Amino acid sequence: MQQSGASGSEMEVTWEDQQNINKFGRLNNRLHELEDEIKIAKESNENFEDASNELILTDEEMVRFQIGEVFAHVPKDEVENRIEQMKEVTEKNLEKLIEEKESILSQMAELKKILYGKFKDSINLEED
Amino acid sequence: METSASTSASVSERRGIPAAAFVEDVQIYLSQTGLDVNSALAFLQERLQQYRVVEMKLLAQQRDLQAKIPDIEKCLDVVATLQAKKGTGEALIADFEISEGIYSRARIEDTDSVCLWLGANVMLEYSREEATALLQKNLENAKASLEVLVADLQFLRDQVTITQVTIARVYNWDVHQRRLQQAVATASDS
Repeated sequence: MQQSGASGSEMEVTWEDQQNINKFGRLNNRLHELEDEIKIAKESNENFEDASNELILTDEEMVRFQIGEVFAHVPKDEVENRIEQMKEVTEKNLEKLIEEKESILSQMAELKKILYGKFKDSINLEED
Repeated sequence: METSASTSASVSERRGIPAAAFVEDVQIYLSQTGLDVNSALAFLQERLQQYRVVEMKLLAQQRDLQAKIPDIEKCLDVVATLQAKKGTGEALIADFEISEGIYSRARIEDTDSVCLWLGANVMLEYSREEATALLQKNLENAKASLEVLVADLQFLRDQVTITQVTIARVYNWDVHQRRLQQAVATASDS
């Protein structure tokens, strides 16, 4: 996001305008962070899916399940439950992240309308 | 998600980071500071650089904290697992890494205490409850520090934005002035 006035005009910028620009910047930063977090959450979910599938295929009774830095020997049923729980937590988290992202996108659209309305070509709010 | 931005108008600095003064009118700003356009631009650019340096530092601290928090959560997980095993009387069998790529099997008997690595080559033995309490406190502290850090970064980025806008406006004002002077000059020539 850049703010550059190439026209050389005497553009008045009020404190309210500055606050809107600041808020847009903050929202944009948060949006990028969210996109990264959403990507990680989606990968986690995929890993859990893969793990569940592997579990179903294996015929061993004891599974080496990573807790912290070690692999504990845990009975298959318990591992299934744990994975289910972890999957639920990640899914809920993912939902929350996606909701936040939508809210931010709509706030940014609002701010774009306001700022472009006042500054027209003197401001650039697009991703470069 | 964030505190109202109108409060930052009254804050002159935050935790050592100076706030960027908002310029209502470029002409008045220049006459108040007594700077000509180039000096003003140089000053603002230098401020921007200083902000960037602080931003790098804060980002590094943020990365550290963000790595530390999952580590503490993993430790809490292990202690909780030991806690769960307590009732059953079974030993916990775990494979652990003794060197890169080399694993060994351990048999962890039912025990009431765990040892926690406190850093600086110090390891202390705690009861399970004490260990859980200590780890929990560390986790909360780390999360609270992270929150403060994130707020610092938001404040800092706002100041960067204000400074960037001020630079653009001072520059534009200058271009505008030159055009006016040129117009006056050509008018008086003709």
